[in-house]
Amino acid sequence: MMSDQQIIEGCARHDRKAQQVLYDQYSRFLLGICLRYASDKAEAEDILQESFLKIFFNIKDFSGTGSFIGWLRKVAVNTAITHYHKNLKYRYHVEIEEYVSVETGVTSFEEDFFNSEELFKVMNELPPGYRMVFNLYAVEGYKHKEIAEILGIDTNTSKSQYSRAKAVIRDKLEKLGKLKSSYTENG
Amino acid sequence: MSVRELFRRKLDGAEIIPDPVVSAKLMRTLARREFVRFNPARFNVYYLGGLLVAAITSGIMLFSEKENSLQPDSQSGLETKENIIIVEPFELPEGKAVLKDSGDKPDVVKEPDIKKNKSQKNTKTGNEAESKSVQSDRNPINPSGINETFSKKALVSDPSANTGKLMGRNLIGETLIETSALSGCVPLKLHFSTSISSFDSCYWTFGDGGFSNKKSTDWIFDLEGEYNVGLKLYSGGELKASSSKVIIVHPRPQARFEITPEKPVLPDDEIRFLNYSANGMKYKWSFGDGTYSDLFEPMHRYARYSNYNVKLVVSSDFGCSDSLIVMNAFSGSEYFISFPNAFIPNPDGPSGGFYSSKSDESGQVFHPASSGVTDYQLRIFSKLGILVFESSDVNIGWDGYFKGQMANPGVYIWKVRGNFRNGESFVKMGDVTLLRH
Repeated sequence: MMSDQQIIEGCARHDRKAQQVLYDQYSRFLLGICLRYASDKAEAEDILQESFLKIFFNIKDFSGTGSFIGWLRKVAVNTAITHYHKNLKYRYHVEIEEYVSVETGVTSFEEDFFNSEELFKVMNELPPGYRMVFNLYAVEGYKHKEIAEILGIDTNTSKSQYSRAKAVIRDKLEKLGKLKSSYTENG
Repeated sequence: MSVRELFRRKLDGAEIIPDPVVSAKLMRTLARREFVRFNPARFNVYYLGGLLVAAITSGIMLFSEKENSLQPDSQSGLETKENIIIVEPFELPEGKAVLKDSGDKPDVVKEPDIKKNKSQKNTKTGNEAESKSVQSDRNPINPSGINETFSKKALVSDPSANTGKLMGRNLIGETLIETSALSGCVPLKLHFSTSISSFDSCYWTFGDGGFSNKKSTDWIFDLEGEYNVGLKLYSGGELKASSSKVIIVHPRPQARFEITPEKPVLPDDEIRFLNYSANGMKYKWSFGDGTYSDLFEPMHRYARYSNYNVKLVVSSDFGCSDSLIVMNAFSGSEYFISFPNAFIPNPDGPSGGFYSSKSDESGQVFHPASSGVTDYQLRIFSKLGILVFESSDVNIGWDGYFKGQMANPGVYIWKVRGNFRNGESFVKMGDVTLLRH
């Protein structure tokens, strides 16, 4: 078993074995991040591959201060952002039903009621712009101002996109919940 | 629990197992990118380049040493040859061969002395059509095969290179590269082949970045210039023979011209042909009416209206030519007829309706502005339907008088019909207001 330090040093020397160990150790974690930013697993794996290439070529720049896993995470998120910019086709394209959907109904969910696979699916189904903002704000913990800078949008856009994304997610979760409870009722 | 908390707790740190294919693909991509990136600790493209340069340099040194020992009073012609030889081995496949040689049989590059001492030498005048210098290598190591490494070239500009040499057990007296022509006009399609058949594989380079592995091949040179076409023959993984030939691709002239005036009226206007051709030396114009001209920019007057196809053939010193045909060159000519909507007759009396742009500056005659009209009939009616004027000559308009008296001021209706010279007919109708001073 190699320590993080050994892996980093090995990768800095472009040692194949160390690279493989790094991949084996962190690819699942990083793919978990990438999948949140992608619309399906294939796209997530594309982002993952690009992230690893960046990691392997820039690992010597990792200062050693701060957590290694945090650095890896940052690279993956940044790669996802780059990927998003590259594939931005319908920048101002918002589905009308998503636009008019309002925040009503349930505001609270039981954690154990949904598994992460279902949540990933909900995330993947979001429009890319919503997904981006929601991920960065809700999961990664960026401020709206930072998100606006990263994505090149207005702060207010970030805020409104976040609230719309939330509404869409809530809607989807409710439907999912109803579906589930109907199963349990019938079953 | 809010949506935000739910996702953060559930998805942050979630792990997904990637497809095993991703790992393999990543490693392949990584290997490829690492190869093209400079890194002193790893064999990459820069090392390969360095190795190639080293191998080539030693190869050249070896070659020039042999040249010198063979012909101590070496001339400038030799240097030209050497320069050409330097260029070729930079190609990757040649490099591979060199690498392979230096790995398997280090004698080629690293032990030049053995080769130099043991190689047999003799001289012989070569083919006069091409200058050549042929040199044998490595006879002691593999005496049974074709061991000659020789280079041949046709140096058009260098007369000193005309003294040919042949060394070693060279059995190939004739051209290694056979080509359908040595020069031509762009785009030049040539057929390349070789008369030699005792080799495993061959490698053509065409001097424009292209290459081929076929024994005989067609190649199209689409840009002008001088191309050094090289052929290398390999047998048993070793370079057995190489040769090169210079192909000169002449630029093709470009025929371009314009016709002025832009919308001429035939046959009235004299047509001028403006020549914008490039790289031309000789020009031949065909005006489409059976007449020709050799002038650079001819003028021409057509005898009658028709649709003519004008053709220009431009040829260069090298016999390259280009042509441009403008079909129906004068179909866009401007034929029109239009009438004013008011006029003031001359109060002093009828003028007879003759007009010209000068005589009718004050607009005292009602007449059309027209171009290219042949047949023409104009009729003017009063509001009551009385025909007050009729003309079948486009050059005679209405002076505003009817039966010797100036017609009453007011609106009159006109109708015109006729044909243009291009055969098109026209029928128009409108009104005109007769004013009085």
